[in-house]
Amino acid sequence: MLFNILIAGILLGSIYALVTIGYSMVYGILKLMNFAHGDVYIFGTLFCFTLLSKYHLNAVIAVVISAIMGGVLASAVEFFAYRRLRAAQHRMISMITALGAAYIIQNCSELEWGSQVLPFPSLIPAQFIEVFGHQISTTQIITLMVAVGFIVLFNLFLKYHKMGKAILCVSEDINTSRLMGIPINLIISIVYFLGGVLGVIGGILYSASFNAISLGMGFRGTIIAFTAAVIGGIGSMNGALIGGMILGISENIIAVYVSSTYRDTLTFLILIIVLLIKPSGIMGKGDYEKV
Amino acid sequence: MALPEAKKLKLVLFAAVFIVAIGLPFILRDPYYLGFVNVFIMYSILSLGLNLILGYTGLLSLGHAAFFGLGGYTTAILMKNHGLPFVPSLVISALIALFFGFLVGIPTRKVKGDYFCLLTIIFGEIFRLVVQSWIGFTGGAMGIVGIPIPKIFGWTIRTEADFYFLGLGLLCFTYFTLAILVKSKFGRAFVAIREDELAASVMGVNAPVYKILAFGIGCLYAGLAGSYLAVYQTVVTPSNFRLEESCFMIIAVIVGGMGNLGATFSGVFLMTLATEVFRPIAEYRMLIIGLIMVIVLLFRPQGLFGASAFKD
Repeated sequence: MLFNILIAGILLGSIYALVTIGYSMVYGILKLMNFAHGDVYIFGTLFCFTLLSKYHLNAVIAVVISAIMGGVLASAVEFFAYRRLRAAQHRMISMITALGAAYIIQNCSELEWGSQVLPFPSLIPAQFIEVFGHQISTTQIITLMVAVGFIVLFNLFLKYHKMGKAILCVSEDINTSRLMGIPINLIISIVYFLGGVLGVIGGILYSASFNAISLGMGFRGTIIAFTAAVIGGIGSMNGALIGGMILGISENIIAVYVSSTYRDTLTFLILIIVLLIKPSGIMGKGDYEKV
Repeated sequence: MALPEAKKLKLVLFAAVFIVAIGLPFILRDPYYLGFVNVFIMYSILSLGLNLILGYTGLLSLGHAAFFGLGGYTTAILMKNHGLPFVPSLVISALIALFFGFLVGIPTRKVKGDYFCLLTIIFGEIFRLVVQSWIGFTGGAMGIVGIPIPKIFGWTIRTEADFYFLGLGLLCFTYFTLAILVKSKFGRAFVAIREDELAASVMGVNAPVYKILAFGIGCLYAGLAGSYLAVYQTVVTPSNFRLEESCFMIIAVIVGGMGNLGATFSGVFLMTLATEVFRPIAEYRMLIIGLIMVIVLLFRPQGLFGASAFKD
């Protein structure tokens, strides 16, 4: 029993980590709470749903197209709603336009797909195999492998590719990077694009393993991503991984052993405890106030 | 007695507003328009309280609807299940909102900026989830129906006009107490914290205490507005207190102008008017609210009547 819960928790955690990485990266660069993140990835996932159920596209092609859609939408939000305000007097302003963008996307998705729960097709055939005397479905294993694979790939991209290095530089110090000749606007667009892509892949994996997709998951996704990012330490890749895992595993344990009605409430309490003990998160470096 | 010219003008203006406010229900005979005014009054009370938190002290709270809801549910439960009269329910609702405001405000000592904003979102979500799940106490998603008609010292509040005067009384209380507060030593301390918390602490302002105070007091007015909503609607449901409501108030404060009490009214008026005008196309409501948020802030980040520029 506990073994299966842990497996399900790790699976959910890896999906959360995928969604969180995009979120955390954007925050790390612009220090902006991207409220539109959840709605962007739900839009991409719903788009994938239409491609699969209406046009019966090949699963891989559908996923690729909708991931690119999500990425383009995310960078469009950045371009229209945030870019002009980057020099605004207060960051609060761009946070509010982020919320406004989230509302616009959410409303457009609602007009197209409605707000009910839709049956998302399972992309991976489910077979049960036995590991150490426990039944595990192949869906879980493949989902986990895809999620972890993307996380590893992304980390390698950041470390070894020129563009990835540029992203790390910009998140370290945006002004110095500009002086060193890094095209800031392009890099920020790319970061948003990649965040959207990873988010949509996470959303599709989530919907495919639970066979359900609904608009309401968008806002919850934003909150979950932010929560996981803060628990792990915002702006840190490893932190996003750890935060996502903590949330995924604890959610499953709480739902089974404590109460499934109050699952989200108790998950949020974990965040409050982390914030009170170490506001910069588990892997966070801690902010120093400059005088 | 010779009064300065500016002061005389202010007095005349004030008297005019007062007369119009008293006479309004006799001019607007149509309950539809009066209902609109009542909703405007309720959101004004909420947004004025939020302006103290957001505009004067610089704390971004996305959980204001939860305090609104605390007031609403407290009044509903006290009046319906315990048979308490309206006035004590109103006072207790405000005090409960104040208490929870202080409770949420306490972490501001350590939790700052965006993290505090996240904390308020989480508080709002926890409130909504608990209210939705605790069916025995709060009625779950159906909410509490059939809240009794309020009476104040023999005055039965039943028609739109009655509710208008009740609301007007609450609004006057809110506006004048806040106007006195922001001009006092406390108000100056709040603004000092907003402008530069470190500098304020160096000057001897006990920043954590003042931040908790500002947050709690702002929430007290949300409790009042919640109590008003409960008796006005005679129903409270979790959907009255969603995150969208918090956003609505924030936009009202920002569009009006942060750190300016009078300007809040213009923001609230614009927002309630937009909601009312676009009611026939309700499925586009969020799209329109989103567009207002983005467009107004892109072109006028300091709001229509911004008091002073924020700095980072």
